[in-house]
Amino acid sequence: MKQYLIIFFLGVTGMASAQDSYFYFNWDVNFPLTNTEWIGSSSARGAKLGFRKFIGSESKFSIGLDVNWAYYEEYKPTETFQQPGGAITTDYFNDIFQAGAVASGQYYFPLGNGERFFPYAGIGLGASRNAYKVSYNIYSDEEESWGFLARPEAGILVRIGERRKLGLMAGVHYDFSTAKSESYGYDNFMNAGFQLGIMMMQW
Amino acid sequence: MKRAWIGCICLGSMLWGCQPEPDAMLLLDQFVVSTNYDNDVNFQSYSTYSIATDTIGFVSNQSNDTILIQKDTDYPRPVLQKVVANLNSMGYTRVGRNENPDMRINVYVVNNYDLYQQVVYPNYYYPSYYGYGYGYGGYYGGYVNTYESNTGSLVVEILDLKTITPDNKVKVIWGAYMGDLYSSIDVIKQSEEAIDQAFIQSPYLHN
Repeated sequence: MKQYLIIFFLGVTGMASAQDSYFYFNWDVNFPLTNTEWIGSSSARGAKLGFRKFIGSESKFSIGLDVNWAYYEEYKPTETFQQPGGAITTDYFNDIFQAGAVASGQYYFPLGNGERFFPYAGIGLGASRNAYKVSYNIYSDEEESWGFLARPEAGILVRIGERRKLGLMAGVHYDFSTAKSESYGYDNFMNAGFQLGIMMMQW
Repeated sequence: MKRAWIGCICLGSMLWGCQPEPDAMLLLDQFVVSTNYDNDVNFQSYSTYSIATDTIGFVSNQSNDTILIQKDTDYPRPVLQKVVANLNSMGYTRVGRNENPDMRINVYVVNNYDLYQQVVYPNYYYPSYYGYGYGYGGYYGGYVNTYESNTGSLVVEILDLKTITPDNKVKVIWGAYMGDLYSSIDVIKQSEEAIDQAFIQSPYLHN
């Protein structure tokens, strides 16, 4: 995974010098919506980065590539599980590590003089890898799966100064992934989230 | 320069997230306690048991010792006393080995020490593993990482002495497995708590 991220990062920073494009890096906060008994806690451990390039002469549309990761974790106090012929008692952590990559497209709504604020809505389609894990004492059980990922997203780009290339970015998104875990009761994985961060604009 | 800084922060943050682990210290202050029993056994039909006083067994793949003795370590006596206290509270009576007990209580530690190595090839994404003593390192510029793990479980077993087979074999009718001993914060305290828990989650053990 690290190798893929490095390759991607080097790629997008190289492309970031292209005209009419932007590279962004966001802090990503997520809220699980599926099987919240297993993990219901929000996750502040997440990030998203990507590169988007405007297409067309009016710069109303962009296409790009986004990658993200999010880590959900929930501590479960000591519990006894009765089984046929015995029982097991332990406290444990449930955690999910989700990493995704999508190809995305955005539409930008006109606002003001079109120089500083760029509200947008878009959708990303790609794949996600989810690792569902239970950790107890020094032991752990894990199930990993890949699935299709769809991510509608809305947000806004804000140029800090008219001549500056650095900007702010904020957005909300909803993720639907088919990465399932039969062992832990996930037919799919859905989450909502908001993202906040910086971007480097090339226009 | 600014872009490089931002890039470093971004990359560092991304890699930091690959892949987080839960807070292990929170999980190490109590053992995992697993118990099994024979569904066909009526534990109320047993009344007496025998157990060692200051010695527990030791099964290890790194030591030739087969027992842990109180004079060498503080571990056996409190563990055995805790087992005895729980059995007595459940209505069983401790007797000597020569007094024809219904049950024999075995208490022992299983220690599993593993040493394994991983050959890492720079820029090669699929490291290969092999067991200690096999394979080779340094091939095509790779290097060897060596890891070790030392794990241990405390085991308490109840043996049925009422139904010894003609070839002198006895059946384990109840077992408790508790660990990990070697990652614990206070091994004696956690062992005592785990033994209590093993009996709590085995209510069928009443005489």
